[in-house]
Amino acid sequence: MVDQKKLVEVAKETLARKDVKYIIGYKKGSYGFQTSAAFAYTPKDVEEFIFTPLCNKNLAKYPLKEEKLPLKRGEEEDKRKIGIVVKGCDSRAIVQIIQENGMKREEVVLIGIPCPGVIDQKEIEKRFPNQSEITEIDEINDEYVFTVEGKEHKIPKQELLAEVCKTCGYPNPVLYDVMIGEEVEVNPKAEYEGIKKLEEATLENRWEYWEKQFQRCIRCYACREACPLCYCSTCMADLLEPQWIRRSVNLSENTAWNIMRAYHLAGRCVGCGACENACPMDIPLMELNKKLGEEVKEMFEYTPGLDIDAKPLLGSFNPDDPEEFIK
Amino acid sequence: MESLIISKEKFPEIINTIVKSYRLFAPTEENGFSGFNIIKDYSEMDLSYLNSRMPPKAILFNQTETLFLMEPGTKGTIKPKEIRNEKTAIFAIRPCDAKGFRILDTVFFGDVVDPLYKANRDNSVLIGLSCNQPDSSCFCTSFGDSPASGKYVDILFTDIEENYLVEVMTEKGKDFINDFSRFFSPASSKEIEAKNAKEQEAIGLIKRNLKVEGIEEKMDKMFDHPIWEEYAKKCIGCGACTYLCMTCRCFDMLDEGTLDKGARIRVWDSCMFPEYTIHTSGHNPRPARMNRVRNRFYCKYSYFPKNSDVIACTGCGRCIRYCPVNIDIIELMNRVSEMEL
Repeated sequence: MVDQKKLVEVAKETLARKDVKYIIGYKKGSYGFQTSAAFAYTPKDVEEFIFTPLCNKNLAKYPLKEEKLPLKRGEEEDKRKIGIVVKGCDSRAIVQIIQENGMKREEVVLIGIPCPGVIDQKEIEKRFPNQSEITEIDEINDEYVFTVEGKEHKIPKQELLAEVCKTCGYPNPVLYDVMIGEEVEVNPKAEYEGIKKLEEATLENRWEYWEKQFQRCIRCYACREACPLCYCSTCMADLLEPQWIRRSVNLSENTAWNIMRAYHLAGRCVGCGACENACPMDIPLMELNKKLGEEVKEMFEYTPGLDIDAKPLLGSFNPDDPEEFIK
Repeated sequence: MESLIISKEKFPEIINTIVKSYRLFAPTEENGFSGFNIIKDYSEMDLSYLNSRMPPKAILFNQTETLFLMEPGTKGTIKPKEIRNEKTAIFAIRPCDAKGFRILDTVFFGDVVDPLYKANRDNSVLIGLSCNQPDSSCFCTSFGDSPASGKYVDILFTDIEENYLVEVMTEKGKDFINDFSRFFSPASSKEIEAKNAKEQEAIGLIKRNLKVEGIEEKMDKMFDHPIWEEYAKKCIGCGACTYLCMTCRCFDMLDEGTLDKGARIRVWDSCMFPEYTIHTSGHNPRPARMNRVRNRFYCKYSYFPKNSDVIACTGCGRCIRYCPVNIDIIELMNRVSEMEL
């Protein structure tokens, strides 16, 4: 478990820096098993900070969401840094964004948290649908311990752990300014659930599977908005001229959208699972992203989001790149 | 109002009879959650559901709808879309969602009547199913409604163990029941009491309350309050809340086509997207997420009651349940309610 007192202490010290505007962390949610992003401007705000196995959102999205409205006459841009509490995957997202020139290293201060893995929000809410009381969860000896309606539950960690965390190879932040506590052991499961099953299926069955998934997409773009790597100032899905993807919500356009997004993340996705978490229609988006990630790794021996000085995969050329597709 | 009962034994048979003459929408489970789909057989139905993930507004107000068809040419031709009058029944709609249709009516039957929605609405019988197991995000009781309210449906079913109590609420409902009268028998006071007990039990399960009293007046004074910015900060700007909302009804109209044929369509739009308000000039009257987030709450709790005397929120809880960042309308509106100004 992460030492929450230390987290608050470090966040307070960071906030006290003259060059820090505010800090983004987690606080308790409004009900049940929810947690919420917290934006701390004062030491009092920082006291609300928590880090629990329910802190499963990717906060790396927020600096990119900051809106820069036109300055008033005589007004100067606030160039102070934004502090962010980052898990392994959040830090990788930041690294990837910096690599792509989407953000500068000096724009952020990172408070790193060695992440023991987070809970699959949908799974726990499915198991306890009536839990309205704000619930805190402890992780003790590979079990999640919490109380629902006066009854204590101890659930083996593997049952509730998010699938992306089971295969996570980088739970410790790869980039940080301060680290809270000791690094956690890295022990990922090799295979992402679902990919193998799809790889073994016939082309027809695979297509049928994805048709069923994309059919129910409602094009709310929660996947895009939650994804830290989806930060184009205008998404091509929103363009009207040319209109790459029609506004009609049907299988054809939904497929175009979802496949396009997956391809735009190839070699960039850090595997945090924010898209799938956000999807209100439970589309298994990470199966697409993980598969493309595997292909990238296999073909180019490349893992995104590890080194801010590395070149982005699709922005670099290597004479040794495989070119089997040229016959 | 007439109260009848139907035994659970006879229940599959009535459903299988209705499907012969009606397009019957009922909850089915697919991919681990419920949705309203046209069923052909009783066995497809899943009544263990809390509520459908997609709101049933999508049945009568399709997410994508063709308005008319066109063919290019020197003069071009326009073919109006045929309005199909299909007899439709929506079974097991929850009272909160049925109220949602009443709210949508005020818009679509307003100054200009929407012919597509009207045809769908006129041809549909709403058969409600009382909610015996509301969940942690349900709050219909905040609006003086009940999970077993028959106020907004034509017919209301309530599961009272071995039977369903069937309350016929409207003339439309009566006509429907008359066609299938052989399945029903009059209810005794015992059964009516059993329903009332179920209703009280369900009300007891609703733990959260949104304090609506005086909220409209409060909001009149809060347009520039920092609370909107506070919530906008964590909003990521997706459209999940509005698309899953039973009362959000905004749409966009545009032409889509190929070289030889095309159509004018309308498709749901969301006020959470920046393009929703952007002008051709490039000017956007709601430039920041704060403006958009604020608008969502004002639309439901201030503008709508001012125009139509009803809050455009039914307490179905979908926007709370499926918000990826825990923007919780109960939490926010209660803070507004309790605000000392």
